Amino acid sequence: MRIRRTQRAAEGVAGYLFLLPFLLWLLIFFAYAFVRSVYFSFTDYNLFQPPVWTGLANYLALFREPLFLTALRNSLAFALVVTPAQTLLAFLLALVLNQKLRGILAFRSAYYMPSVTSSIVITLIFIWLYQRQGAINYLLTLGRAYGHLVLAGLALLVLFQLAQVLLERRRGLPAGWTDPVLGLSSLFLAVGAVAALVAAGVLPLARPADPVSIIWLNTTDRFPQGPISAPIPLIAIMLMNIWTTAPTFMLLYLAGLQDVPRELYEAAAVDGAKPWQQVVHITWPQLRPVTFLVLTLGLIGTLQMFDQVAIIGDQAPLQSTITLAYYVYHNAFPPGAIPRLGMASAAAVVLAVLTLCVVWLQRRVLRY
Amino acid sequence: MKMADMPTIPRGSATGRRSKVSADLPRPIRPGAGAAYAETIQPDPRWIARRRWARAGIIYTLLLACSLLFVGPLLFALLSSLKDNPSEWPPRLDPPQLNPANWAAAWQLGRQGGGNGWFGQFAPGRSVSFEVRYLVPPGAAAVPPQVQVPRRVPGAGAGAVRLGPFAADVAEVSPPQEVSRQPLARGTVVTYRFRIRNAGTVAVDRLPLDVSVPAGQVFQGATLWPSRQERQGRVQSWNNVTAGLIPYVFNNYVRVFRENYSRSTGQNLFLAWIRNSFLLATVRVLTTLVFAAMAGYALARLRFPGRNAVFFTLLFSMMIPSQVLFISNYLVLRDGIWGLAQIWGQQTLLNSFTGYLLSSVVTASGVFIMKQFFESLPASLEEAARIDGAGYIQVFTRVILPLARPALGALTILTFQGTWNEFFWPLVVLTAPQDRFTLTVGLLSFRRTYGVAFDWGPLLAGAIISALPVIILYLVFQRYFVEGISFTGTKG
Amino acid sequence: MFRITHLPVRGVALMLAVAIVCASLLVAAVPGPAQAKERVVRVSGWGGTDIAIVEELIDRFVKPQVAKEGIVVKYEPVADEFSTYLMNSLSAGTAPDLFYVDIYWSHGVFASGAVEPLDSYLAKSRVLKARDIVPDLLKAFTLNGKIYGIPKDFNTLALFYNKDLFDAAHVPYPNANDNWNTLTEKLRKVTNKSKGIYGIALTPEFARFGAFAYAAGFKPFDAQGHTDLSQPAFADAFKWYTGLVREGIGVLPADLGQSWGGGAFATEKVACAVEGAWMLGFLRDQAPNLPYGVTLLPKNPKTGKRGNIIYTVSWSMNAASKDKDAAFRVLEALTSPEAQQWILERGLALPSRAKLANNPYFQKGTPEAQANKIVFAGASDGYVYPFSFGKYGGDWMTPINEALAAVMSGKATADQVLPDLTARLRQLTK
Repeated sequence: MRIRRTQRAAEGVAGYLFLLPFLLWLLIFFAYAFVRSVYFSFTDYNLFQPPVWTGLANYLALFREPLFLTALRNSLAFALVVTPAQTLLAFLLALVLNQKLRGILAFRSAYYMPSVTSSIVITLIFIWLYQRQGAINYLLTLGRAYGHLVLAGLALLVLFQLAQVLLERRRGLPAGWTDPVLGLSSLFLAVGAVAALVAAGVLPLARPADPVSIIWLNTTDRFPQGPISAPIPLIAIMLMNIWTTAPTFMLLYLAGLQDVPRELYEAAAVDGAKPWQQVVHITWPQLRPVTFLVLTLGLIGTLQMFDQVAIIGDQAPLQSTITLAYYVYHNAFPPGAIPRLGMASAAAVVLAVLTLCVVWLQRRVLRY
Repeated sequence: MKMADMPTIPRGSATGRRSKVSADLPRPIRPGAGAAYAETIQPDPRWIARRRWARAGIIYTLLLACSLLFVGPLLFALLSSLKDNPSEWPPRLDPPQLNPANWAAAWQLGRQGGGNGWFGQFAPGRSVSFEVRYLVPPGAAAVPPQVQVPRRVPGAGAGAVRLGPFAADVAEVSPPQEVSRQPLARGTVVTYRFRIRNAGTVAVDRLPLDVSVPAGQVFQGATLWPSRQERQGRVQSWNNVTAGLIPYVFNNYVRVFRENYSRSTGQNLFLAWIRNSFLLATVRVLTTLVFAAMAGYALARLRFPGRNAVFFTLLFSMMIPSQVLFISNYLVLRDGIWGLAQIWGQQTLLNSFTGYLLSSVVTASGVFIMKQFFESLPASLEEAARIDGAGYIQVFTRVILPLARPALGALTILTFQGTWNEFFWPLVVLTAPQDRFTLTVGLLSFRRTYGVAFDWGPLLAGAIISALPVIILYLVFQRYFVEGISFTGTKG
Repeated sequence: MFRITHLPVRGVALMLAVAIVCASLLVAAVPGPAQAKERVVRVSGWGGTDIAIVEELIDRFVKPQVAKEGIVVKYEPVADEFSTYLMNSLSAGTAPDLFYVDIYWSHGVFASGAVEPLDSYLAKSRVLKARDIVPDLLKAFTLNGKIYGIPKDFNTLALFYNKDLFDAAHVPYPNANDNWNTLTEKLRKVTNKSKGIYGIALTPEFARFGAFAYAAGFKPFDAQGHTDLSQPAFADAFKWYTGLVREGIGVLPADLGQSWGGGAFATEKVACAVEGAWMLGFLRDQAPNLPYGVTLLPKNPKTGKRGNIIYTVSWSMNAASKDKDAAFRVLEALTSPEAQQWILERGLALPSRAKLANNPYFQKGTPEAQANKIVFAGASDGYVYPFSFGKYGGDWMTPINEALAAVMSGKATADQVLPDLTARLRQLTK
């Protein structure tokens, strides 16, 4: 009995010894910081004079300040658009990559590239791509000029495929609508046909069109117009963020896919489930825990979006990009004005509460 | 739905088993589920093989298209970082910097100027021979171009304060001589040649050149393609004719290193930022490995009062954005952790690597990963060691750590990448002086320096250079990356 | 899942050791702020081209002067958000001894009480007197009767024009006698001459528009500190400025894919741009062969006056500086006539010392010297105000900028936005 007790005491001492560095760090740089943020949020504090207790004044002021409300709206819009979009994209990418094909690893590496690169590098590159005369507008211009060829090609592809499948079936051969062999030959036929149509002058090669000149960053416009809309610069950041984060979550899905029992698919195939039915009824439900995690991580991540706003800086109007995280920073260190740490801390507390609520809500709704 | 039916392809071909299912019964044709009824009619092996090839072809096409989406922007940035004007419209995919003819010319001109071909210069007594071609429209008289070596400073950044020597002070240009005439339907192409000689006594590192012709004559080509054309094509302008091969092709990269140095110490700032990022990332990896492994082990294996409270706090801390905490952390560092920093003589830990490292000596997610990992290990090994009389520290260093290699590897990579890419905290802590920035903060200062003048070349080059180490690291240690990501996910 | 076996056991043990050694070494090796045996004066400003200029200044003019007094100058430029850095470091007690203060955000910094008033130093100084400095500039850095900064240089707006485009349209160049109407006529002719060419690039910003509002006689604040936009002068300027764009004579730089007037000018698609001397470095780099000329902004036809905005930056001193006399010695050297002349002769910035107005540099025939001369003259011609809106800072301009953008992009008319704009500014400054 005594031995066990001393042993337990020893284990406790050892435990705290092992934990000590981390615990110190956690206490100073998390617990203390968090408590202090909450305390500051009830004070008027500007770094020059000691904090003065003001009760709820900061919170009341906060919800009357247009910039804060804008930041709140932007943050929520950002989280609600980016999280589902990147989750879906990650899932689809994982499905595509979950193949036993030669060179699949190279593709996985390539897809993951945006995720290893730092936010500042990505944002700098995208600021450049998003210029009024940048590559993105140029691609859209190309789309405007040559889009009709692509559309014609797709229509022809469908037509050729239909014709070929029907022909095969008439010959008594089993041919699915998405038969790959026929699909490939339809593709070649469609490309050839479009080329022939252009050569014959039926289709113009390029339609005359003005260059697309969407202002992606330096605008206060919103899209789509109406009650549910987001500032265009924020949408630009959303697209960029989906592009950078989806590959990270794709890896989680890929890991999850390894654990889906194969027998399920085989049984389903025996029962005659179509591939898309297998995805809907087996893969997706089996990956529910992963989806759950991806959504949680995604929500936490999107609600903290800061770097992109800071780096874009004066390339876009502040109210079109500001998020809660940036609002906190902007008030703590306002350019050329006296710090408003009370307001900043109140906004920080709102951000923390919001994060916890959203994550809790997601857990309740999905009930995993 | 094409994408969706793919993952089942390699697995769903359980042909053997299914052939038992009444092969003779006619089955309804099911679109999209080709494999399922492939056996209903005697499958021709050649037909199956063809199918497989076609399917693989389609999948590879799809995969390639997706790669273009994900790597395309990065590759395009890489390509454009070579251009003199990365914002040109329409954007071209074949900048003159990628044309071997220009490489040869840059090499030749660099050597003529007294350099070694790789890096050129314009040395005293050397002369450079240069040709330009113009199309003279029918009926117009061919007027020889005016050649001038302008007095020009390089770039809008630090280069703007260049003090000399200038090539304009030493260069002598011979009058352009007509070399040949080639009649064409739309006019005559006239080629002129001139020589530029360094008549001074000092070597100059760059030789800019302006060649102007009357309106109407159309520029056709030159020994080296010009950096820009101005005044509706009336002026062709070269930033540096005798650059040599490397500064010609990698002009913006050379600028990044050459233009960013501290004039007081002579230190190269961009190199300093790279070094800082490396140093901080390395130290942080080491401390994180040690402390996260220790804490993770304690939380996973040792029982002590308050363990759950600590773990709960850890989880909670992972959900709180760093912007919520930074005010207090900033103040704590400002005051030198309640004056403790005075022990080693620092009043404040702001703008100090020590401060940055102390505040990020370990990460909650690191501890979380290690804890998850240790919990997945069987307890038996440890127990055996305990029975043999090993203490906690011995068990930890002799038994646990060796087993933790995969997790430590993943943590190494994740921490390194995280520190290298970290933006917010260095921005708050390391604001001055310049040589104390990390690469991310340095790049932000680049945006201020070059972005003001929309000089995108050095900006893109800087971005590419700073992305390279992590990308290389990733390509080499891919598996650790993937494992690291899945650790976070295994039991979350 | 855990298949990785590349890290050797000893490696891990070694890493442990190295981690601890590294951490402790680092703690020991990174020195704190230099101990004050020598008289260290820390000097700070923002990054960009300024870094090279200040470094040269310190090497050439400051160090030789102050070294014999045992003063060591340390220059610590800041990458980003200098004003933020300054506020933080002032509050933290880690601020440099001398630093930039931009007129635009000077009010908040001076009001914080962390900046040392310079009157007594100027009174004692033998080389730097208040009367040496261009009075309007010094006034801009005076708050409640105290001088908080010595302007290091300044800028105003001027009209840059592309000679090629005027030549092509056979229109005489803009000149100092032009008023709004005559200039509009010239620009109209240039615009009509060829497709895709515009008369002038105009940004929807008070930072440019303000100069024209001032020319019309607009006063940003009345004696009580209120802003009244219902003055006819404001509406006149607003309608003329936005009208140029609505008529198609003017163009927003954004419509040419550029973000500012200089960028638009460099595309050679606009004949004029309203910018300051910062254009010179940009053109030198981006369009070195563009044949441009510079003249004063046009006069308002009613008042017969020009307006302009002064952009200026001061050297200010930390009130908590340990060695203020040493800091002031460095300040003297930084703003010495020799230093300012050196900067001027290289076309880097305009001097704040009144005597340099007659510097031979201004008589040089180069376009850059000409431009600098015009910009220098702009500071004392007509109604000139500093680019500063007291405690309101940028908030004062934001509604005006939004209204300008709405009208210039064609979403609303001037008459639609002006009443609301007037009300917003009245509310803000009440």
